[in-house]
Amino acid sequence: MTSTPPSSADTPTAVTTRSGWGRRLVDSLSRYGFVIVFFAFVVFFAVRADAFLNPSNLVNILEGNAVLLIAALAMTLVVASGGIDLSIGIAIDFGGWFAIIAMRDYNLTWASALLVGLLAGAAVGTLNAALVVRLKISPFLATLGTFFIGSSVQQIYTSGGGQVPFREMSESFRSLSTGAVLGIPTEIVLAGTVGLLYFVLLERSVHGKRIHAIGLQRSVASVSGIRVSGYLVFVFIFASATVALSGIILTAGLRQFTPLSGFSYLLDSIAAVFIGASMHPQRRPNVAGTLVGVLFLGVVSNGLNLMGLDFNLRDALEGIILVGALALAFTNRNNRAAEVSI
Amino acid sequence: MKATSLLEGAGSALEMETVSKTFPGVRALDRANLSVSRGEVHGLVGENGAGKSTIIKILAGVYRADAGKVNVDGAPLEKIDPASVHRLGVRFIHQEISLVPHFSVAESVFLGQEQTGKFGTAKRLMRQRAEAFLTETLGVELDGRALVRDLSVAERKLVQIARALIDGQAKLVVFDEPTAVLAAAEVQTLFAAIDALRQAGKSMLYVSHYLNEIHQICDRVTVFRNGTDVGVMNLRQSQEPQVGVPEIIRLMVGRDIDDLYPQRQHTKRKQKALEVTDLDDGQRLRGVSLTVGAGEVVGLTGIIGSGRAELVDSLYGLRKIRSGQILVNEEPAKANSPARAVRSGLALVPRDRRNDGLVLDMTVADNVNLATLEEVSTLGWLNRAAASRRGDESMERLDVRPRGSQAVSRLLSGGNQQKVVLGRWLASQARVYVLDDPTVGVDVGARSEIYRLIADLAQAGAGVLMCSNDPAELLGMCDRILVIVRGRIIADIVAAETDLEQLTALATGGAEAT
Amino acid sequence: MTATTVETRRFAAAAPALRLLLARFPLLVFALLFVYMALGSEFFLEWRNISSILRQSAPDAILAAGLAVVVTAGGDDIVSGGIDISLPAAATLGVGILSDQLVNGRPFVLAMLLAAAAVVAVGLLNAVLVVKVGLTPLLATLASWVAVIGTTKWVINNRRITVDHQFISNVRDGTVLNVPIPAVFALAVLIVFSFWIHRTRFGHRLQASGGNRSAAEISGLNPDYFLARSFVMASLAAVVATLVLTARSSGLSPGIEERLLLDMVLATFVGAAFSFRRVVTVPGAMLGAVLVKALGSGFQLLNVDIFKVGMVKGVLILIVVASAALEAGQRR
Repeated sequence: MTSTPPSSADTPTAVTTRSGWGRRLVDSLSRYGFVIVFFAFVVFFAVRADAFLNPSNLVNILEGNAVLLIAALAMTLVVASGGIDLSIGIAIDFGGWFAIIAMRDYNLTWASALLVGLLAGAAVGTLNAALVVRLKISPFLATLGTFFIGSSVQQIYTSGGGQVPFREMSESFRSLSTGAVLGIPTEIVLAGTVGLLYFVLLERSVHGKRIHAIGLQRSVASVSGIRVSGYLVFVFIFASATVALSGIILTAGLRQFTPLSGFSYLLDSIAAVFIGASMHPQRRPNVAGTLVGVLFLGVVSNGLNLMGLDFNLRDALEGIILVGALALAFTNRNNRAAEVSI
Repeated sequence: MKATSLLEGAGSALEMETVSKTFPGVRALDRANLSVSRGEVHGLVGENGAGKSTIIKILAGVYRADAGKVNVDGAPLEKIDPASVHRLGVRFIHQEISLVPHFSVAESVFLGQEQTGKFGTAKRLMRQRAEAFLTETLGVELDGRALVRDLSVAERKLVQIARALIDGQAKLVVFDEPTAVLAAAEVQTLFAAIDALRQAGKSMLYVSHYLNEIHQICDRVTVFRNGTDVGVMNLRQSQEPQVGVPEIIRLMVGRDIDDLYPQRQHTKRKQKALEVTDLDDGQRLRGVSLTVGAGEVVGLTGIIGSGRAELVDSLYGLRKIRSGQILVNEEPAKANSPARAVRSGLALVPRDRRNDGLVLDMTVADNVNLATLEEVSTLGWLNRAAASRRGDESMERLDVRPRGSQAVSRLLSGGNQQKVVLGRWLASQARVYVLDDPTVGVDVGARSEIYRLIADLAQAGAGVLMCSNDPAELLGMCDRILVIVRGRIIADIVAAETDLEQLTALATGGAEAT
Repeated sequence: MTATTVETRRFAAAAPALRLLLARFPLLVFALLFVYMALGSEFFLEWRNISSILRQSAPDAILAAGLAVVVTAGGDDIVSGGIDISLPAAATLGVGILSDQLVNGRPFVLAMLLAAAAVVAVGLLNAVLVVKVGLTPLLATLASWVAVIGTTKWVINNRRITVDHQFISNVRDGTVLNVPIPAVFALAVLIVFSFWIHRTRFGHRLQASGGNRSAAEISGLNPDYFLARSFVMASLAAVVATLVLTARSSGLSPGIEERLLLDMVLATFVGAAFSFRRVVTVPGAMLGAVLVKALGSGFQLLNVDIFKVGMVKGVLILIVVASAALEAGQRR
């Protein structure tokens, strides 16, 4: 996301010195180095933990990270547009919370409850969009403010974070998490559908092209006639509605809403987006990369778990591996080379 | 201006002899020579890629020469690195003004060479010295406490110069395109400062694309072509710019460019492409009215602060207007965002190419298609083959080099980048082009191609509003020229009936419109 | 020339009233809230309350000073510029080690040295990730946040540690000339860091690195050097915060780092509203921390629901940054 100063207009020479096959080899090695390390981990876990390569365990990994994948995809969209969303935890919470309230207190059907949950998420996104587009607050601080407000609202209405259970949840709603479509767990199907949708939106549609342009150089997008404000509003609302779906899946699985539980997805989804971005030639956030990032985090967590390590040690190792992985993914590439002009 | 202290045989401030430099695949410098006498202002010109920035980077210690000798002030330089060059009194005034927006003038001047007293940095001392230097050496009054972000561009340029020269050790000052960011009147302020430095005995190397400026300020000029020097001209002997400038151009491009500006047949059409009436923003624009006919190229010039930038911004939809009307193709256009402006049929080519012109990290094809994505898509699905094909076609038509529409735009030279910006709008159906300084930083060769494109647009019936700081370019290209002063259009002149002097005089308020 | 200059100046001052109002709006909001609190509760302005506010806000203020240094050196664009969100995690790690060691009967000096070494190691890690690896500070410190939190859990087995140590109690309850000792630590950090950043050659260059990277480069400075130093300096602030935090909660209670993070960021950016040039400064950030804490205390005195204070903070950060953004828009 760093923008290195553009090289002086009339120095094509600077380019020439950088290309050349040697440089390209180093480039692609470090570009795919991350993927290599990913597979190294897979092999390592396969050797050290027998259960790791079990088909059922692999499905576990996918299912266990479906929620994170949905959140990370939404984060990909926001980061691609040049922003960041620290309030996805709030949208996750609100999605599940409002869906439960809709069913428990208003006796709505599961489908309506789903819709209510998504709308609650969209409302969070609307606040973000208003702050960023209308009041021109930077996305980091705007969504941080939303986070404060959203957390506070949850604490006020749950007496400081008490759980909101709903045991009599209808089976249809519950199957959003526990069911299966054609033998594939619903969570995976949902995450896959969202992933496909995001891929088409961000990588194959004109809208994605425009959103990338806004994120890379907003003023250019603007004078090219792209409705920057409109797209930013869309991005924030759509992203929040998307993560609300993760929240709904979570509550469906647990048959209860735990306030402030969405926060734990924030850091992982940002990490996944940037791991993914590191694999793009221009370091752009992208859907395929985010998928790899999420799978990496999921595989590491699952593998360490299977190795039977102490719970606390596992957390420490996960964090250290994340630092190492990011360091590896970004080393040698775009290392903020000081380009002195003249 | 040309009163100099240049003495024959006074020796050289800089001697670079038979300098060569090869990059993988490119011979950037081939036994090039460059010599600056003590106390002179020496011009350095050449097309992009001629090697002038390479030789300067070698002097700066950024690149290492493969072969050749460098003498500074008579002493041979063995190992060139930025620190040793600095020690010898060589100072560089970069094209871009890089200052910290929230620093004061004094803090900016002393950045990296801070004065310290008993209690840390000596703020008052630095302020007094900065103010004194600006007044005495550069001839400008500036408050040392004023913040950079509140200064005009010319004032920032002077702060930048003061920063390089405040230590009093400067012997050779290298200016790289110092006027690229300045308006015509501000250029004179800068030239006055350069003249003051010349009086103080400093030697200067002046790199510029603006040949008129070279002619005005320099004592001699070295011309580079294809990585070597092809001639040194003594400019004090040829007094007439009409004689001197074409001679420089001939040396630069190796052939005659009589047709830098294309021959245009002006076919008058009745339809008005753009009509602005009584535009007022309550601040800088006080009732601006203008028309651009279909098929017409209209120039717009004005110094900084004249309202020119604000007028362009209003047309772009970047600036709130209080009253007035904008008609595009004789239909009212709501200009409250660039997106609206574009949809009403305007094509916008912004001045700040690097920041506003191209998405540097996208491919050329992406940039060409950016304004017209719906034409290479079905129901929002991007047809990538069609997009790429259109990128290729556009590059072919505009002669963008190197070819390859999947190249990242950052890697193109300035002239080629500008062609891509134009290509974006050629792909659209825009009928009105608002070009803001379209040839800044573009070399002569690419410049003539851009002029040809603009002429073609007009020929095809589009209206072109061309805003520029370069009066020569306006005279060469336009049918009519508008001059804006203090928020009002004070003159609307047929280009064929005016000249450089009159235009400059009008823009700076030195003459009344007739 | 002079003519254009005058013209530009006049334009810059075209809407001074509006600009001034926007620039001072956050201060106005703070002032009104304090007046309201002072009127609502007599106790609010008593020294006992003020000294309690100072005592409580010391850790936040010290961390905010550290963050202010990083923001100054890296630029205030949060996504691509300088930010260190791992500071509270580093301080928490320090608290964990210090508490653990003290409980195990280690002498104070040795325990503190161990804790300090760990905290500074986090700063070095950040510096390496940002300068050598080339991660953006946000991403780098986010990653080290995750790693440090995990490590802390592992080191202390994810439990609450209560420290009963004479020196810690003294820091918690003691005063010097009626000023609580944590506030004295904060004051020391204020003086040292302010001088370092705002009065020395080094600080001037560090400010330039963050203010305009290429300006610093052209002036022969290496911005990465200053950015790396800023992470280490910030971790020194976190070392001081470690001691004060341990005293504040008499040991370690897991999970304090999230609240600390948000308060630290809020204080630092609110602090920009208190500086003459509208930029993040060390004194501004520290004052911001104290004022934010004072608000919380005031609301408590007025019997406002503790959970609503989070809401007020959220609204406050939005008011501050919105008025800064709108003022910048006016300036253009």
